[in-house]
This record gives sequence, C-alpha cells and structure tokens, in this order.
Amino acid sequence: MTSEPIISTNDLNLWYHDTHALQSISMTISKNQVTALIGPSGCGKSTLLRCFNRLNDLIDCVKIRGEILLDNENIHAAGTDVVMLRKKVGMVFQKPNPFPKSVYENVAYGPRVHGIKNKGELDSIVEQSLRDAALWDEVRDRLHDSALGLSGGQQQRLCIARTLAVEPKVILMDEPCSALDPIATAKIEKLIDALKQDYTVIIVTHNMQQAARVSNYTGFMYLGKLIEFGQTNQIFENPREDLTENYITGRFG
Amino acid sequence: MSDKFHTELNRLKQDTTEMAQFARDMLRESLDALFNQDTEKALQVYSRKKHIRDVTIALEDRTYQLIALYQPMAKDMRLIACTLKMITAAERIGRYGKDIADMVKDLRDQPDFPQRLPIPHMADLVLGMIDDVIVAYKTENLDPIKNFTSRDDTVDALWLSILREMLTFMMENPQTITRSAYYIMVARYLERSGDHACKMAENIHYMITGEWIEIE
Repeated sequence: MTSEPIISTNDLNLWYHDTHALQSISMTISKNQVTALIGPSGCGKSTLLRCFNRLNDLIDCVKIRGEILLDNENIHAAGTDVVMLRKKVGMVFQKPNPFPKSVYENVAYGPRVHGIKNKGELDSIVEQSLRDAALWDEVRDRLHDSALGLSGGQQQRLCIARTLAVEPKVILMDEPCSALDPIATAKIEKLIDALKQDYTVIIVTHNMQQAARVSNYTGFMYLGKLIEFGQTNQIFENPREDLTENYITGRFG
Repeated sequence: MSDKFHTELNRLKQDTTEMAQFARDMLRESLDALFNQDTEKALQVYSRKKHIRDVTIALEDRTYQLIALYQPMAKDMRLIACTLKMITAAERIGRYGKDIADMVKDLRDQPDFPQRLPIPHMADLVLGMIDDVIVAYKTENLDPIKNFTSRDDTVDALWLSILREMLTFMMENPQTITRSAYYIMVARYLERSGDHACKMAENIHYMITGEWIEIE
C-alpha cells in the first residue's frame, strides 16, 4: 500500500510555555488514506492534529519549531493565508458543534463566506455535502429546521457535511465519535471509509478498536513523542516497539 | 479490566498446555499399549476420548469469549490465535491416540513380525517434537522448535520406509495383512502428528515474533 504524501512534518516541536508537548515529530500522511493517532491522554495527539490547520496559533503561549508541509508548501511560511489553509484542512471536533441555525445554513455558511452567493449553486453544494456525509436522506425534508433538533450522531454528520462544503483536501477529526452511541458511531465509521475516496482523513481516537477498524495507517504517541508509525495492521498485529505493544494490549494507559 | 483479561489469558494458556500434555500422553500410552499388546491400557486410553472432546470445547469456548469481550491486540491476539491452533492440533493428536488404542484388541490374535520395526523409533521422534512444541508454547521460547524442518523430514522418510516394508510383508505373507495394514495406519497417524507439531511450531513462531515461517 503506497500512496503519495499530502502532509509531512519534519522535526516538529511544540511548547506550551515550558512544556515540551510535541518532541521532534517527523511523519508523512498519505493522500486518500485514513491515518489514526492513538495514545494515552496528554500524549500530544490532539495537539499534533491541531498543528495541521494551525489551530494552535490561537493559543498565546504556544511556540512551534520545525516544518509542516501541505502539498510541499510550508504552512508556517510568511504569507500563508490561514483562512485558506483551514479551508483546505477542515476539522471535526469531539462534541458536535452545529451553529444555532438551520440545517441548510450550517452547510451553506462556509461556501458563502468563501464568496458563493448564487442560490442554485449553494443548494447544490448543500445537497452534495449532505449526501457525502450520509445525512441527506434523513434531513432532506427538514433542511430549514434548526440543526439543534437533530440527534447527536446526525449533528456530527452535519458538522462533517459543513466541513465538506468548502471542498477541503484533508479532514481532521478529533475524537469524532466519543460523544456518540454505537449505532451513530458505526455510521460515522462507515462514512470515514467512504470519505477517503476523495479526501485524506486524520483521526485522533482513544478507542483503539476504532483506530484499527477505520484507518490505513496508525501513529502511536506517548509523552509528546511519536513512538511508532506504520500500517494499521502491522501496528495492531505486530508492533515493533515495546511501548506500543504495552499500550495496545492494555498494559498501561 | 485489563488485569482480569491477562489473568484469564494466562490461565487459558496454562490449561491449553495441560490439554496438549494430556493429548500427548494419550498418543504415548496408546503406542505403549500397542507395542506391549496391553489391551487393558488400550481400553483405558480409549476411554479418555470424551474428556479430550469436552476439554477442547471448553477451551475453545473460553478463547472465543476472550475475543468477544476484550478484542485482544498484538501479542495477546497472537497468543489467542496460536492457542486456538494448539487446541485443534492437540485434539487431533489425542484422537490419533484413541484410534491407535482401538486397534490393540484387533491385533491381539494376529501374528507378530519377527523383525524389529522402525515404528517405535518413529514414535519417539514424533513424541519428541510434540514435547518440544509444548515447551516452546509454554515458555515462549523458539529454541526447542528450531530444527523442525529436518526432524519432520526424518519422520516423513520413516513413514515411506514403513509403508514400503509393510507392503513387502503383505506380499510375502498374506497372514500379516491385518497387522501390516494397521501398522501402516499407525505410521500414517504418527506422520500426521508430526505435521501437526510442525503446524503448532509455525504458530508458536508467529505468536512469539509476529512473523510467519513455513516448516516444510
């Protein structure tokens, strides 16, 4: 399984004040693949995920050294348009966070911000995004109802549709199923599998079975370091590092 | 939670080791009964068939429960996978013991061969392989199973040699047909038991290293 790279980090370091939260991370994320980041709480996996669309920029005390390349361009280069970066690298969070607006407006919001005003065009983007997020059939008759009336699983898929509406290349997911029941989780996992046809997905999860089910590649992080990175079946069947072995077999964490 | 899992996993491994030892003893004692024409011992081995079946089902059931409840990964998963294969192979070996034990009464009145046959030697080689497999599984050590390819080659050669020898006896003296035919089956069971030992060795290698090897 070889695939062209879309994101690579080179000796990436991050500090919160004096805390060295990411230590010399070098990894390559493959295009149109699902990459999972696993590790115990506080290992830096969410911090790493948030580096990919520079969400950590919003925290004052953060200092970053090292390189992150998206399509061979350094995302920290002077002149990088962070708004465009976050359009290319969308994000779905742990807790569904729809805007307190209608289903339609939630999805149309992004394209509208990026300049699309034509109603027909917006209608078509909304439908396609909702279809791609496997939500269309459930909400087609209630597009103008409040998004807050949807179930948790539907809200999370709406957030995914909202991310898809601006045509990202990469979708970051930070524990996207941890607030969902098993049936809603199964729908999101099925969706993740379908999304990799067109997008690259990077998912942070506490649930190792989920990482094993949905991802092609898995990175195991511990105390700010990327301990092991490889194909998912290798990581879960025969990890090379003892730390990985001990974590995934439940001997710590 | 995980402590409970590892405790249960260790207990499963220990019980599987005991079951393999039990099956190995069935084969050993059935051969002793055969070589010594000890029908009482043969009956005693034969009567263990229910026990080996019950233990097999109980161990398999516990293995599936551990998979369902804990979704084991990495070396835990490999131990479980290997354990399932061990259980299956050990049951087969135990059942060969039962089948050999069942022959003893039929051979009681059959004339014996004047020559010494290589079957006891073949039995020692195969039982040695089974013993080493059990030790390798129990101690998670590759050393006892490292020469299995050449050991299995010897067993295979003995099987062919015994087959030829028995055919010769049968052609020379039809009175030996019953015993020869039974001995061909015994040699065949031993050869199959050697193959089961090789299969177990491959699985133990995977359990310990995560890598597959082929013992041909």
